Amino acid sequence: MSRKSKHTSLEALVERIPDGSSIGLGGSFLHRGPFAFCRELIRQGKKDLEIIKASPGYDLDILCRAGAVRRVRAGIVALEGNFGLAGGYRKAVESGKVELEEHACMTLVAGLRAAGAGVPFQPVGGVHGSQIAEVNGWKKIADPYGTNQETYLIPAIRPDFVVIHANEIDATGNARVFGSPHWDRAMSRAARTLFVTAEKLVETERFRERPELTLVPGFMVSGCCVIPNGAWPGSLAPDYSVTYDEVQAYVDDAERTIEPHMSRAPELKLKGSNHG
Amino acid sequence: MAERFTPFSYVVINLARVIRPDEVTFSGVNSTLPMLACLLAKRAYDFDFTWLNVAGGVDAELDGPVPLSSGDPALMHGSAAVFPNEEFYDLCTRGGMDLCFLGASQIDATGATNNSVIGDWHSPKVRLPGGGGSAVMMPTLRRAATWRTEHSARTLVDKLFFQTAKGNLQTVVTPLCVFDKRDGRLVVESYNPDVTVDQIRSVTGFTLDAATAKPTPAPTDAEIAALRSLDPDGRFAADANIQLPEFAA
Repeated sequence: MSRKSKHTSLEALVERIPDGSSIGLGGSFLHRGPFAFCRELIRQGKKDLEIIKASPGYDLDILCRAGAVRRVRAGIVALEGNFGLAGGYRKAVESGKVELEEHACMTLVAGLRAAGAGVPFQPVGGVHGSQIAEVNGWKKIADPYGTNQETYLIPAIRPDFVVIHANEIDATGNARVFGSPHWDRAMSRAARTLFVTAEKLVETERFRERPELTLVPGFMVSGCCVIPNGAWPGSLAPDYSVTYDEVQAYVDDAERTIEPHMSRAPELKLKGSNHG
Repeated sequence: MAERFTPFSYVVINLARVIRPDEVTFSGVNSTLPMLACLLAKRAYDFDFTWLNVAGGVDAELDGPVPLSSGDPALMHGSAAVFPNEEFYDLCTRGGMDLCFLGASQIDATGATNNSVIGDWHSPKVRLPGGGGSAVMMPTLRRAATWRTEHSARTLVDKLFFQTAKGNLQTVVTPLCVFDKRDGRLVVESYNPDVTVDQIRSVTGFTLDAATAKPTPAPTDAEIAALRSLDPDGRFAADANIQLPEFAA
C-alpha cells in the first residue's frame, strides 16, 4: 500500500469493517473516543460486532442501542459525569442480546499486551478473590522461579481492528495525542489492523520536531481519516470539552431513538466533501 | 457554633479525611465524590500528598470549575507529567499505591464488593457498570476507601450477589457513618451526629458492630470553605442528591 493511500473518507474506512468483526476502541469514557467512527458503523448498518475497550461508555451504549453489537469485552461501562448507568448497554446485556466478557480494566489490557507482544497470555497483578476469574475461567500459576507467588494469566486479546482518535496526524499516518493516551498504546499494538481518525492534518515536519509525542508511528497504520470534532459529544483536550447538554439529550430522548442525536453529529457536514 | 454536616458534605469530607500526608492517592472514573474529596484535601489540609487521577494528572490544579466527569482532561491542568491508565495500574500492582478510592454497588461486612450485577451474573436483573480497576487494585493497594450515597440493606449486605473484588478495603463512607475495617470486619468508627447507632443498625444489611463508635467530629471551617469553593452553586450537591433514609419511629 502506498503511503498516501492510507488517507480516505470516514465512510470508506468504515466500509472496510466486515460484519462480525472485533473492534478495539480508543479513549476512555467520554474522552477522546472515536465516536464519529462509531456513528458511521451505525449508519452503515454493521452487525454482530465485538467491542473491546477497558472503559467504554457512549460509544458502546450507542452501538448497543443501534443493535450493532453481539459481544463485549470491557472493564467498566458507564456514561459518567452524573449520567449514571449506560442504559442501552445495560438493556442489551440484561436481555441476552449482547454477551459480556467482564474484565477488570487492567486484565483487558494484559490481554492486549499479550497480543502486542505476540505471546499467548500475560501475567497480571491482583484478581485474587474476584469471581471475575471464575466466570472467565482464568488460570493462575505459581511462580516457577521460586517464590511460588500465584499470578493470574490473561489470554491474548487481538482485535481484528483497532480505531483510535488522535489529535493530529500526518500524510503517512503518524499520529499523536495530547493529554493522557489512556489505553491507546496497548490497544494500538494489539490490533491486526489499525485505523486512526484524527482532528487535524499537520505537516510531517511537525512530527519530526517532537518525535517523542508520536503515539503511533505511521508504518503501523492501515487506514486513516481526518474528522474534526470526531470525539463529539465527548471531549478532546485541549480543543473541546464534553458537550454535556448533548449527552443529556442522548440519554433523555423521549422516543428512545438515537435518530435526533445522530442527526446533530458534526461529521454529517463532511459528507460529500473531500477529506483526503 | 460549629457548622453541621449536610448528607453531601458528610460523605465528601469524610472521604477527604482518609487522605494522609505524603502518601500516593488515586481517584478514578465514575468517582465524582472522591474527586471532590481529593481537591478538598488539597485546599483544606496543611500537608502534601501525591494525587493521581484517572485523567492522567499528577497533582493537577484546576484553573476553572470542577468538571462533572472525574476523568475529564481538565484534571490534567497544571500537571507536570502524564501518568496514564496503564501506569497507575502497574504502580498499584508493584506496591506503590497507598490509597485508592474505588466504587462499589454492594459491600459486605468483610469489605468485599460487588460492582457487577444485581441477581445472577449469567442472567442479571440489573447489569451494573463493572468493577473497573477494583479486582486488580483492591488486593494490591495498601488501603482502599469506598462510598455509598445510599445507606441501606440493599447496599450494605450480608451476602453479595457477586464478588467483584476483595482485598484491602479499609474505609466505607455513607451519609450515616464511617466504617473502618478491623480484624477483617467493618465496624462503625464514627457516625453522623444527626442519626443514632440504632437507626444505622435498622438500615444495615449485615450485623452492625458499633461498640466503639463515636460521633463524627464536626466539619472544620477549612473543610467547609474548601467544599464551598469547589461547589459554589451547589451543582454537585444537587446532582448527588444524598438523602438520609426515613427511619421507622
